[in-house]
Amino acid sequence: MSRPTSTVEVARGRDASAGDPPRRAVVRPDGTGGRRRGGAGAVAVRWLLGALAVVVALLWVFPIYWMVVSAFLPTNRLRTPDPTFFPVDGTLSNVRRVLADPTFYTAFRTSLAVTAIVLVVAILFAFLAALAVSRFRFRGRRSFVVTVLVVQMIPAEGLFISQYQMLDGWGLVNRVAGLSIVYVAAVLPFTIWMLRGFVQGVPVELEEAGTVDGLSRTGAFFRITFPLLAPGLVASGVYGFLQAWNEYTLALVVMTDPARRTLPLWLQGLVEANRATDWGVVMAGATLIAVPVICFFLVVQHRMTAGLVAGAVKG
Amino acid sequence: MRIVRSGALTLAAVLALSACGGGEGDDGSGGEGSGSGSGDAVSEGAEIRLWLNGGDTSDELRTWLVETFEEQNPGSTLVIEEQDWNGLVPRLQTALTSESQTPDVVEIGNTQAAAFTYAGAFADVTDLYEEVGGEDLLQGFVEAGSVDGTVYALPYYSGARAVFYRKDLLEAAGLEVPTTLDEFTETAIALQEANPSGTPAFSGFWFPGQDWYNGTAWIYTYGGELAVQDGDQWTGALSSPESQEALAEVQRLFTEATSAPRDADSNEPWVPFNNGEAAMFSAPTWARWSIDLPECNKGVDPEDTSDEATALRAEQQACNEERTGIFPLPGPTAGEVATVFAGGSNIAIPAKSQNQELAAELIRLIFSEEYQTMLAEGGLIPGNSTYTSAMGDDAYSQAAIAAALDAKLTPPAEKWADVEGARILEDFFQKVASGADLVTTAAETDRLIADTLS
Amino acid sequence: MSALPAGRAATPAPPPFSPAPATGRRRRRPALGAHLLLVPATVGILVGLGYPLARQLVLSFQEYGLAQQFGRPAEWVGLDNYTTLLSDPYVWAVIGRSIAFCLVNALLTMAIGMALAVLMARVGRAARMTLQVSMLLAWGTPVLATMTVWQWLFDSQYGVVNWLLAEPLGMEGMRYHSWLIEPLSFYAVATVVVVWMSVPFVVFTVYAGLLQVPAETMEAAQLDGANAWQRFRLVTVPMVKPVLFVVLLLQVIWDLRVFTQIYVLQRAGAPTRETHLLGTYIYSLAKEFSMAGAMATIMLVLTLALTAFYIRRMLRQEEDL
Repeated sequence: MSRPTSTVEVARGRDASAGDPPRRAVVRPDGTGGRRRGGAGAVAVRWLLGALAVVVALLWVFPIYWMVVSAFLPTNRLRTPDPTFFPVDGTLSNVRRVLADPTFYTAFRTSLAVTAIVLVVAILFAFLAALAVSRFRFRGRRSFVVTVLVVQMIPAEGLFISQYQMLDGWGLVNRVAGLSIVYVAAVLPFTIWMLRGFVQGVPVELEEAGTVDGLSRTGAFFRITFPLLAPGLVASGVYGFLQAWNEYTLALVVMTDPARRTLPLWLQGLVEANRATDWGVVMAGATLIAVPVICFFLVVQHRMTAGLVAGAVKG
Repeated sequence: MRIVRSGALTLAAVLALSACGGGEGDDGSGGEGSGSGSGDAVSEGAEIRLWLNGGDTSDELRTWLVETFEEQNPGSTLVIEEQDWNGLVPRLQTALTSESQTPDVVEIGNTQAAAFTYAGAFADVTDLYEEVGGEDLLQGFVEAGSVDGTVYALPYYSGARAVFYRKDLLEAAGLEVPTTLDEFTETAIALQEANPSGTPAFSGFWFPGQDWYNGTAWIYTYGGELAVQDGDQWTGALSSPESQEALAEVQRLFTEATSAPRDADSNEPWVPFNNGEAAMFSAPTWARWSIDLPECNKGVDPEDTSDEATALRAEQQACNEERTGIFPLPGPTAGEVATVFAGGSNIAIPAKSQNQELAAELIRLIFSEEYQTMLAEGGLIPGNSTYTSAMGDDAYSQAAIAAALDAKLTPPAEKWADVEGARILEDFFQKVASGADLVTTAAETDRLIADTLS
Repeated sequence: MSALPAGRAATPAPPPFSPAPATGRRRRRPALGAHLLLVPATVGILVGLGYPLARQLVLSFQEYGLAQQFGRPAEWVGLDNYTTLLSDPYVWAVIGRSIAFCLVNALLTMAIGMALAVLMARVGRAARMTLQVSMLLAWGTPVLATMTVWQWLFDSQYGVVNWLLAEPLGMEGMRYHSWLIEPLSFYAVATVVVVWMSVPFVVFTVYAGLLQVPAETMEAAQLDGANAWQRFRLVTVPMVKPVLFVVLLLQVIWDLRVFTQIYVLQRAGAPTRETHLLGTYIYSLAKEFSMAGAMATIMLVLTLALTAFYIRRMLRQEEDL
């Protein structure tokens, strides 16, 4: 990595002459990455890598698998000398009990509202800021970037007292809006930094090539750069979604009214519902909380590919 | 799952969601003017809020409280908001400082009470104390909620620990229920050696390494203390001769009477018991509802409310209780019981509450004969010990009462909660369980306790 | 309803910069537009974090605990909180441990994450989706549940890990092994859990960065005769470097103040005092807000010191652009 910038410059120069909306290199429909290479060896390597990916996936998912198994077992079979790996004679009772619990749906709605607000507001604000710091040069740019970074380095464990007093002053305790405000602030610095990295990753020459071809600067941005940013937006979006969906500590102090619980608070309530925790039910609850995360991802994942295809077709 | 169906997160959907989220916010706590803006301390027509933690107060008790309160205070309403023990302290740290958000009456763990009491979070209830029972109230809890003779938090309920045992295993090993603390150790060791259920990791007495609740019972029974006050200063008291004598017994139990892991705590001791891997464990008496021996399990769906299922569950419970016995941990001589560790909670009126009068009314209601009796019938030792007899005369209640009468709390130091927060005693008993030298470990821990409490 | 103004600001986003034709040199535009772009984010951060952060700093020079919250006046104590902490050898031990833990975890997470991101980019759709979903589950499942499961997996008596080691693998000595009681073994378990939870973020982000590399650039490099490794090293890495920088930096920041995993594992039976890291240690000071505030400042300085090299390099590079 002696002089990385020069390599990029070379690459960029070449791109600039193309003037087309870019295509992405690494992932192709056939998944080979880069140009298709023939030969049985390449196919074998691909299969081998695929197998490796699946093995890693299985290894990684094992604790989650264990949670799901536990969701289908009565509590007295969760911790026994001989573990149950396959809940063949399991029970649906845990899941049914969660689904029959009206407070689950209330918490679900609250979490959904908070998450949606945080996601949209944080991504939008962060995107604008990332654009400013990576596409413009102006006084105070560096200090903004450094401040945003430093803010993230400060441990936040002790902040909840002041944040609470602030929200209380505005009458926003036990309000979706109040929780959203502190979440947006918590997610923003990170998202700005991430998106800044992604915007920088798109060579500005690509855009300029577009303007040479007669697109306005704005047009060039939306036609050329924006599609390339989709993966970054999705990655940041997933992060923002998970933060808002799973956050516990701030929600704990802001949402004290049981009718205003978010899902993580609801789950904690499930742990304490009985004097002896019914872990099977808790695991069923946690499994149900994880489902929307996967749904969200599948949706944005699909959008991401769609955006890619659209960009390519228009070009 | 609205997000999924609509496909994309359009702005409209978000606005709709935020609107509905906010709208909910408006009709709920805002509507009745949750005791906040109105602020008229003259009580008529206010809504007061009571925070209760976890599931210890049954639905039946809650309903009674709400109905009776509203009947006796026409125009006022009582809202009970259930809180979780986990995270209660940060919630109290914030909500109790806010005039608009503070609950009007709160339940607080007895070891957490001192910190808030000293901080001035609660209103003075010394007058109420005399009115609702005075000397009859559980004095350890009164002490935990008092500063210099002024009472700020009253006892709500208490629970003490008793020993559960497998009758069949004791019988198979040819042993009797022990009547003194020494006998208890011998019985546990004999059970451990006999291993009547033949499982590999068998424990005569389930005693995990971090179980300081049970370890403390020995210290208290031998006349030792966890910490003592000397003038203004608190210091650890694990090095005292009494504590050392007790700790030697504890260490013997750890090494000879248990296979419980050293890196486990006192949670869920019924799990090894149900698995046939422990013959005895010590826990709060409500643990009876978690005993679920495989040979008794009828596999009834917990949701099933049919008569048949209810009957099967009753049969199952009877079967479990037939095989399980309970006794209070015995004391130094036969006929006495040990001084075990008591846990429970206090109840207090936050100083910032705008409805002090109504809150006091609610406290009076909680200490009414009817409510106290209902608490006792639910298996808890009520805040007013006069009503303990209502707990019933079955073996469980008898053991609970016997254990509770002599039970003792943690030291009433202002910063005791910090000792628990730093898990100093968990670390200490774990070292004892690992065979550490008692004198040096105790000296070290005493110093840590003193540092934390000062 | 502060969400409304936010929402309104979002309506069909006005073009982020002035519609004037792009004739000037890049990045040399009038600054007003750029400053306007920063307004929403700045307001958002200031509103939610500005005052609390400033207050935390102020408190660190006072004596402020629970009693002060309920109205007792706070006393100024100057640097007392700082000297108390920094003169305690135990605090230095915790700092040392935290740095070591942070470096090991951040590097492991980065290495595994980058490897998996590259792997993800090279496999077929089915394998990729499998890997993505499993990563996402590890990342997105409520921590309360995943931490409970990890606790169960490493449980001495009923843990699946011990069961697997003893039953199928025949290591009878491991049947009742206590994983958490020795600090080193505790940190090993904690590393497994922390890396497990952090890698998905790295994978997703780096993978997204890899997706950004334009195909033309790759093809051009290939035409120039660069082999796969050279293409990766000379084209891909430099282009995803801004992202890698950010991710590494964030990993260092997060791993230095790792809290939840350590907290839960301590409660699962570890010796607490011997296993504290900065995150859990601050938490144990939580009732002395002033102390926790001072500790937070110390951690900030520590983080800056650990990352100063990277930050400076990054900023310099930025100036070069």
